[in-house]
Amino acid sequence: MTAPDDAHGRADELIERLRTRVQQRRDAGEYPQGLEADLDAHFQRIAGQRPGDLESVRAALVYLEGTMGFDPARIHTASNLRGGDLVHRGIAKAVSRQTEGVLEQVRVFAEAVRDTLQALLSAMEFPTTHEHAELIEQVDTIVERIASFERVDSGAPVEIEVLRRRIEELEAAEARREFHPWFSNQRFEDAFRGTAEDLQKRYEDLAREFVGVGGPVIDIGCGRGEFLELLRDLDVDAFGVELDPELVRADIDRGLVVEHGDGLLRLAAETDGSLGGIVLIQVVEHLSAQQVADLVQLAAEKLISGGRIVVETVNPQSLYVFAHSFFVDPTHAWPVHPAYLDFLFREAGFKEVLMRWRGLPDEEESLDELPEEGKEAENENIRRLNRLIFGPQDYAIVAVR
Amino acid sequence: MEIHQFLAAASSGDAVTNSALRFREVLRQIGPSEIYSHHLDAGIAGEVLPLDAYAVRPTARTGENLLLYHLSIGSVDVASFLLRRRERVGIVYHNITPSRFFRPYDAEFADVLDDGRRELAMMRDRASFAFAVSPYNARELESLGYPHVSLTPLIVDVQELAGIRPDPGMSQYLDTQMDGPLILFVGQVLPHKRPDLLLAAFHVLNTYLLPEARVAFVGPGRVAAYRVAVGRYARELNLTRAWLTGWVRDEELVAFYRAADVLVTTSEHEGFCVPLLEAMAFEVPVVARAFAAIPETVGDAAVLLPEADDPLLLAEAVKEVLDNDGLRHSLVAKGRARLKQFEPDVARAAFAEQLLAVV
Repeated sequence: MTAPDDAHGRADELIERLRTRVQQRRDAGEYPQGLEADLDAHFQRIAGQRPGDLESVRAALVYLEGTMGFDPARIHTASNLRGGDLVHRGIAKAVSRQTEGVLEQVRVFAEAVRDTLQALLSAMEFPTTHEHAELIEQVDTIVERIASFERVDSGAPVEIEVLRRRIEELEAAEARREFHPWFSNQRFEDAFRGTAEDLQKRYEDLAREFVGVGGPVIDIGCGRGEFLELLRDLDVDAFGVELDPELVRADIDRGLVVEHGDGLLRLAAETDGSLGGIVLIQVVEHLSAQQVADLVQLAAEKLISGGRIVVETVNPQSLYVFAHSFFVDPTHAWPVHPAYLDFLFREAGFKEVLMRWRGLPDEEESLDELPEEGKEAENENIRRLNRLIFGPQDYAIVAVR
Repeated sequence: MEIHQFLAAASSGDAVTNSALRFREVLRQIGPSEIYSHHLDAGIAGEVLPLDAYAVRPTARTGENLLLYHLSIGSVDVASFLLRRRERVGIVYHNITPSRFFRPYDAEFADVLDDGRRELAMMRDRASFAFAVSPYNARELESLGYPHVSLTPLIVDVQELAGIRPDPGMSQYLDTQMDGPLILFVGQVLPHKRPDLLLAAFHVLNTYLLPEARVAFVGPGRVAAYRVAVGRYARELNLTRAWLTGWVRDEELVAFYRAADVLVTTSEHEGFCVPLLEAMAFEVPVVARAFAAIPETVGDAAVLLPEADDPLLLAEAVKEVLDNDGLRHSLVAKGRARLKQFEPDVARAAFAEQLLAVV
């Protein structure tokens, strides 16, 4: 390894060698006299130039006009010497013809100068008539760079055209899928979901699942906020996320903590292992198959150990549901089968997965059994039909992480 | 306690912003950590928060956080903000370019730099400690009477840049449309970086020594009057083989580094100078001038010219590096060795160690 001093020595040696070579070239007359000084002065001159502005040129022209009254009378004949005035006037008179002649030439010259300057000014006022060197240089750079891209033959325009068409197709498909009703979701919920009191009574048991979960609870698609109110009454730290801005405003007015936005995106943004609970009441039937599967995995990531998720949805095992409620909501995508959802939660590693059947249709609606004796076979068939047709309308899965 | 960083201005590609982003990677391993800046470029808005956003942090009320202020230009807003706060403040000093370079071209910006110098003096009593990114900067802080100055090298990952695929269009252009050896200047076209001196040297080289050479100045010119003067100088000297490219993307910068035969840094003021390390990573030999922190950054891995303005000597040095294979190979090898001292992991560890000493 070389000692630093050595390295320094060699570096100095190199610089010295370079210096000598410069001197040799200079001595051999390879460089013109004063080259560095000329180069430096050249740059300093350019750097010292500042563009003038048209206003000051115009002002100078006005001043020029004001100085253009040529008259022999404006030539002073006063003198400090005694009798000097007389001598001056005498001489002036004697050469008045010559003076007039000179003044005439000056007048013609001055007018030519003024006209030239005015022509110059009007040329400057129209930038297209003269060159902006720096702009041209910048344009040159841009043209150069565009040319460099054009030289690459990648067939990109064709690919872009294909992509553009594909995007248009996808956008059209997306537009067909979207639903933007003119009626308010608030009115829709009021008409089909029942009163706030009905719902609170219906969900009291599920809300109690979250007491003491040890972390904040997120209610995804919280709608009119009935579940959040139940949680608040139970002193559970909770907030909601809702897509419909009108519902969000109403919730906030009622003092609930509700954000406007896509609940799934909001869930994804949470820190892993930070949530005590997740609530999805009548939400999953609105999602795509991919979203449902992803949601369960996401929930597993975001919940703390011992955290809980409650998913309540329509029960496709009950045919009654299809006749009465499922198709009332035009935004329902596909019912989620309880066996599948149970499978998803177990696969995602939830410790405990409990199924709660809910909302049995009124008994009056179901088929009556035959009262006569000896109709056991028929009655068994009736019971089977009742189970199939009039099964619980909803189910809830309570899963513990 | 949380540690947060503060900048006067943040923009993507800016060396000071980059260093704050790298520090943040380390800080986030300790706890929550954000970067706040008074001015924000649109391109960086997702990464860096506006200055006002700090006050609404729940922990800002405790007064127990540690605030790191990256000083490189003046900002009355950031300085007065920090002077008002109760938290402990540390300075990360990147150096402030002396205003005399800018005064003839942009008096307003020169004033901002002077403000920066005043703030640096003002912050001395407010700062509990200071990190300097080079020994040169450390000496300056100590001469201002700063207590507890420690050397904290920038975390620079030049290998990351070296790993980027060069822009195919630019590579093809440089390979096929530009003949002759390519001299590269990387950095903003600003007065203290002296691209005018390189143009003068290039004129000498082009006219008397190496007519086939080319030069590319890669970087934006944010001071219009100076940028225009440099462009006009090249035009008036009829240097058709000089190219001022303006701002380029990283992929294009990589194409330039890969095509370059020598990197020339004419700068007269640098607090660290990252392009020197980038050139080493691309195995491009370096010619520089012995100003400010430059000798400390390059070590022996460059031809280091004395401070005097000498376009003839600079031209001769560039020619020597281009002609002399032995010298070129030795500079590249020394560059490779030099780079080891700036390994990002080493710098990260040094930063973490300095932090531990002050928290």
